[in-house]
Amino acid sequence: MITKYTSEIFNVLRKGQFICSNSPDDDIKKLYKVLEDEETFEDLHEFFYQINYILEQGNEYYYFSRKENNVDLDRKLEKAFNWIDILDFFKTFDTSFDVGFRFSPSDIVNQLKNNADLKTKLEKLKKVSGDKKTNSERIKKIIEKLEKDNFISLENEITETYKVLTSFNYLKDIITTINIPEEIENEIPE
Amino acid sequence: MNTFNDIKELVTALKREEKLISEMFSKRKSIDYKLNDALELVDYEESRIDLLIQKAVIRQNGDFLELDGQFLEFFEQVLYVSEEINLSYIDENIKNIKENIVYFLNESSENRRYAYLRFIKKTFRNMGLITLRSVVDMRRNIENTFKNESNYKNKQLKLENLDEKRTVVTNLIQQTLLLINEEELTFFNRALDEELGRIIIELKNQLGECSHNLIEIEKQIIDYLNQIKQQGKFLEKLRKLKYLKDNFIIEAETNIKQIVSNKNEVIFETKPNESINLSIDFLREDERAFNAIKRIAKNYRDRLLFKPEMAERISNDYLDNNIEEEIMVNLEELRNRFIATSDNLFNFILNYDFLKEVEFNERVTIFCQIISQYEEELQIQDNYQTTNGIEYAMVFSR
Repeated sequence: MITKYTSEIFNVLRKGQFICSNSPDDDIKKLYKVLEDEETFEDLHEFFYQINYILEQGNEYYYFSRKENNVDLDRKLEKAFNWIDILDFFKTFDTSFDVGFRFSPSDIVNQLKNNADLKTKLEKLKKVSGDKKTNSERIKKIIEKLEKDNFISLENEITETYKVLTSFNYLKDIITTINIPEEIENEIPE
Repeated sequence: MNTFNDIKELVTALKREEKLISEMFSKRKSIDYKLNDALELVDYEESRIDLLIQKAVIRQNGDFLELDGQFLEFFEQVLYVSEEINLSYIDENIKNIKENIVYFLNESSENRRYAYLRFIKKTFRNMGLITLRSVVDMRRNIENTFKNESNYKNKQLKLENLDEKRTVVTNLIQQTLLLINEEELTFFNRALDEELGRIIIELKNQLGECSHNLIEIEKQIIDYLNQIKQQGKFLEKLRKLKYLKDNFIIEAETNIKQIVSNKNEVIFETKPNESINLSIDFLREDERAFNAIKRIAKNYRDRLLFKPEMAERISNDYLDNNIEEEIMVNLEELRNRFIATSDNLFNFILNYDFLKEVEFNERVTIFCQIISQYEEELQIQDNYQTTNGIEYAMVFSR
């Protein structure tokens, strides 16, 4: 027992969730504060390392990784592809979709009316949105997906406002690190 | 153009229409001011508005009114709310000072020299203020542009332009300092004036402050531009990856496989399934466990209904061996017995002891059966007898 929050921290991170500095959840915020203390972080890092989890620090967020990989490549690739699709969708909705951005499902539904690009992309996201009939149901499904992966979080239930968490930086990092060779890059139409 | 005759008239007019003008000024950004709305503020005296239009304080544009540019600028300048950073003004001032210094040095008349000096002092005083205000304006503009400009390209362009302005201001400050410290030494030596000295010190102070602010602003702009650039770059990258993905060549053309295969984050794993067995002690001792058991047991109560219904015990009577005997009439045996007698068949059957009760009708049936089966062994005669109302032929064995 390193701190009285050890098990709470473990429980959140073990599920593949992030502990973000800008989470609307007060409990998570508290855990972030605990982890922010460098000494506690070091101790917890050591502690979790013993049980095969590596406590990692990202840009304003914490997460777990493993010493060894126990997920097959296909699954990872599929997950990454999913993220690319969904990110592309949200960036089409609003280019400033980034850490701290706030939106509600109805914002996206409204955009659909005058953004044909967004509409086509929604159609193509059937894999994520399932066979839901109405657009707003589909969008909800997509939002749920991103929420489940802990990159956004519901901030206000009444107005249905979601907030982009700092863990979004993780997604951005992955996208940024992927290297497209120059000769390929030149072949991609604008 | 019809304009005010003197300051007094101007101030009085502004004072009288204070309500309207201040309202129009405060709304200058948000809405176009309608003539109807304006009328309300001048107690519906259209002539008062007409006068203002005549004197070019406000301009009419169809149904809308707006403050004249000159006045607007004046108010903004005086109230320190100008959005525009007018750098040419500073530049102009430097030139003016330089000119006036030359005039000052050339002039021999004490009176006129004093006039030039006064102008120089006033300009110096202004320059400090203007530079400081430009810096403050610039900072506000940068923040506004970064936060509120929704057009991506324009945001970048505007910030770049503001950065250029920043360079200009820096240059102007340097020029001013150069002017004071090096270029016009003769002037400062000759014009020994206490007030000028104070103004110069104040100016240097202000310029120093400006320089510090500008360094900070430069950092801010660089940071903002970087953020924009990064965001733009990120978006570009994302679009490219999406394109490759949609064309099913992302795995072949990029190093995504390698990158992803090195990622051991828990987020890639399926959510763990809790399959930990409960401790027996816990189940035995803990109140919560007991409650849980009770709760779960409730769910199972209904299942009793599904139990198959059991039949009652089979009574022993059914299980005992029961033998039922039936005496059958053996026609073959009957025939054999009959052949051994000399009686007629009907009489023989009538009196035969079958070991059981056999009724008359049955005996008649047996009589018929024997005749039909063993006809060849029997001798059927043509004489008939009657018994019990039944007429029968006399039958003997051969």
